[in-house]
Amino acid sequence: MAVKFRDYYEVLGVPRTATAEEIRRAYRRLARQYHPDLQPPAERARAAERFKEITEAYEVLRDPEKRARYDALGEHWKGGMDFTPPPGTAWTRAPGAAAEDFGPFSEFFAALFGRPAGDRRRGGVRVTFPGSDVVAELPVTVDELLRGGRRRLVVNGRTVEVELPRGVRDGTVLRLPGQGEPGPGGGPPGDLYLHVRVLPHPRYRVVGDDLEVDLPLWPWQAVLGADVTLETPDGPVTLKVPPGTQTGGRLRLRGRGLPRADGGRGDLYAVVRVVIPERPSPAERAAWEELRRRATAPADRPAEV
Amino acid sequence: MGGEGAPRAEFPVQASVTAAELAEAVGVGPTLLARLVRLGLVEPLAPGADAFPASTVGRLRRMLRLHRDLGVNFTGAAIVVDLLERLERLEAELARLRRSA
Repeated sequence: MAVKFRDYYEVLGVPRTATAEEIRRAYRRLARQYHPDLQPPAERARAAERFKEITEAYEVLRDPEKRARYDALGEHWKGGMDFTPPPGTAWTRAPGAAAEDFGPFSEFFAALFGRPAGDRRRGGVRVTFPGSDVVAELPVTVDELLRGGRRRLVVNGRTVEVELPRGVRDGTVLRLPGQGEPGPGGGPPGDLYLHVRVLPHPRYRVVGDDLEVDLPLWPWQAVLGADVTLETPDGPVTLKVPPGTQTGGRLRLRGRGLPRADGGRGDLYAVVRVVIPERPSPAERAAWEELRRRATAPADRPAEV
Repeated sequence: MGGEGAPRAEFPVQASVTAAELAEAVGVGPTLLARLVRLGLVEPLAPGADAFPASTVGRLRRMLRLHRDLGVNFTGAAIVVDLLERLERLEAELARLRRSA
């Protein structure tokens, strides 16, 4: 069974005469450079391949026994050459085992040193790697925060259905155990992490557990007070606007905000904005002029509150 | 909402995990986890609470990998992960701004 020869010295960039200390230093430097955790997401997969080669090379060269066995093959081999393991090497194909079922390392490694044993020595060979965790964004609408419900999304070509837990907010991370990538060599699958992002709503702003909604009022409603019907997530509500309500005033509707994890709900705030009629009728205009005549505040100064 | 073709999810969606779940998920013993909590490298949702944000699992796995593969100590690994997360947030924000520009 021919496999591709791997030049472990070349992978680590050290001479065949390198000391254990030089090998360790070279590994540390390359590991820092190619460690998948230190790469931007787009380059992680490529770095993981390279990192695996580096780890494999280090696994052999750091261990005097393995290194001696590797060195005994001679120095005329070049990376990529067809290599048939000499008789007497450890590996024999387990009955029914798939050719790629070697754990994290290459077929070349397996041919020389056998299928790694099931021990999890510190820093040593791991038979299986857990699958990679997958991180994805989950955009949700304010309506979904209010009503909860199920979301379907496609992650890595797979459809996943998620029930939104109560109390989810922008930035909440949902963990779906075992829904990440399958583990190489039969390792446990990784987890799927969904980062919740709340999409802007045309009407409601999210402030913690509370919602804010604009409440435009005519000047006379703000000055004299009024009963105003306001659309809320729970349907229309009649709001008592007290006399003398200023722009920026906040009227609270208790318990009409976002559902909280503890079963309660935040509040809904109607934020007042006094607006003026843009095209008053002749009668309205006359009334405003009358108001100006009767007002005590001077007409040539900015308003003061 | 019926699913045609889509598999119904047969797994718990978690926004938080207990210490036992966390230890199990990242493959460490309760003693090491307790030590990491005491060092402030793993933080519960509230002081003393047996609840950690679900994101702690990924964070801690990353820390342990950095510790194992690069020989960084736990405090160093926590700093690296903090910085990486900050970098990733900034990069995501930058990508979003570029898209909307």
